Amino acid sequence: MSNHEHSSTVAVDREACDICGTCVAVCPTAALKIIRELEIDHDRCIRCYRCIRICPFGALKRDNGAAEHVSG
Amino acid sequence: MSQVDFEIAIVGAGPAGLSAAIAAANAGRRVVLLERRACPGLPPRCGEGIGLKGMSAGLEVRPEWIRTTIRSASLISPGGIEVGIRDVPESYILDRPKMEQDMFDQAVASGATGVLDAPVVSVARQPDGGYLLRTPECEYRASCLIIADGVESRIARDLGWNTALPDIDSETCAFAKVSGLQLDESSIRLYLGSSIAPGGYAWVFPTSSSSANVGLGILGTKSAPKKARDLLDRFLRERLPDATLEEVHCGGVPVGKWARPLVRGGALLVGDAARQVNAVNGAGIAYAAVAGKSAGETAANAFSSGRFDSTTLTLYEQEWARNYGKQQERSYALKRMLIGYSDATMDAIARKVVKKKGQLSYLSVFLTAFSRHPFLLIKSFFLFR
Repeated sequence: MSNHEHSSTVAVDREACDICGTCVAVCPTAALKIIRELEIDHDRCIRCYRCIRICPFGALKRDNGAAEHVSG
Repeated sequence: MSQVDFEIAIVGAGPAGLSAAIAAANAGRRVVLLERRACPGLPPRCGEGIGLKGMSAGLEVRPEWIRTTIRSASLISPGGIEVGIRDVPESYILDRPKMEQDMFDQAVASGATGVLDAPVVSVARQPDGGYLLRTPECEYRASCLIIADGVESRIARDLGWNTALPDIDSETCAFAKVSGLQLDESSIRLYLGSSIAPGGYAWVFPTSSSSANVGLGILGTKSAPKKARDLLDRFLRERLPDATLEEVHCGGVPVGKWARPLVRGGALLVGDAARQVNAVNGAGIAYAAVAGKSAGETAANAFSSGRFDSTTLTLYEQEWARNYGKQQERSYALKRMLIGYSDATMDAIARKVVKKKGQLSYLSVFLTAFSRHPFLLIKSFFLFR
């Protein structure tokens, strides 16, 4: 938890996302959810980035502030 | 915001939720079926293959849902050794969007309230034991909840289940609908190998003599960002250079053991959300249909008999465990073994099998593969259930 404040969470590229839910299935803290699009709860995100690795279309990236930031 | 009360709320209108809705509505219960997508079955989420056995157990197949009938298969080893197998158990490639639209219509005709474009924003257990579901437009209350929200299994997690998939129990898939091919429309092709689909396989399922569902799944532990899509592009380029890409989609397949418990309070977990999938080949339509039907019937019976409680609902879990649970667990044990096989081992087995020469029967491949190696792969691929 030491880096919690400083490490980046996850951002979704909505153009690339097919809304398939694969990332939702592997998220250990249920920080991801599909409403009409993929929503990310940044407070629940523990920065394991498993969602980024599993995404078949590469639609998830580390959020360094440049990408769209959505609160779940 | 309007509020509506039902006896049974079902989240997700895939094969599991639809089967549950039809069963419960036919039994005369007040049912609402919530689907987040605007159209049942779209976009497609799988290869659309199903075995005859699975079909007859869980679904009343209509001829118009069948695109092609599969009677033979080829398994291509990592080194390119092709094992041709005739007389595989009869399987179908389905038109899932059509099937799911028809089933949705059937559920509604049976009296269920079907709501499309209705994503569940939140779910909560109420003090009276019932469930409150919120969509952006409406609130739904129900004593019984059937959770069929697919691989994401997100509703269950809000109700205390831990259905998160470890990487080793997930397949991440990319697939395409392609045209412009010349195919034997009664034969499927499956490709193995760490450079093609590590920890999974690639498939070519004909949907006509000139079109196919082509896709691949890779094991979560072998995944990297966009890897499934990149491998699919390469597969198409190398193996089907003449194919015209119609559409490309992706999806996840749970390949773990089925979730336990399947019943918690007044909630029942079904289909991919319950990880009721053949862990070797990723087939889940038939399991989803049988589980959905059983859950819908069990829930309806609980109301009809005046004994709506956890004990009565647990009959669904017992039925699943008795009829399919062991089989599913065997597929999981097998998957764990198979993912340890190297390309060289798979080639050696394929070489041995084709030594028999000519077109092999399903049984002869099976027996040859098993005479030395515990190679259940071939059999398991064609169980499709």
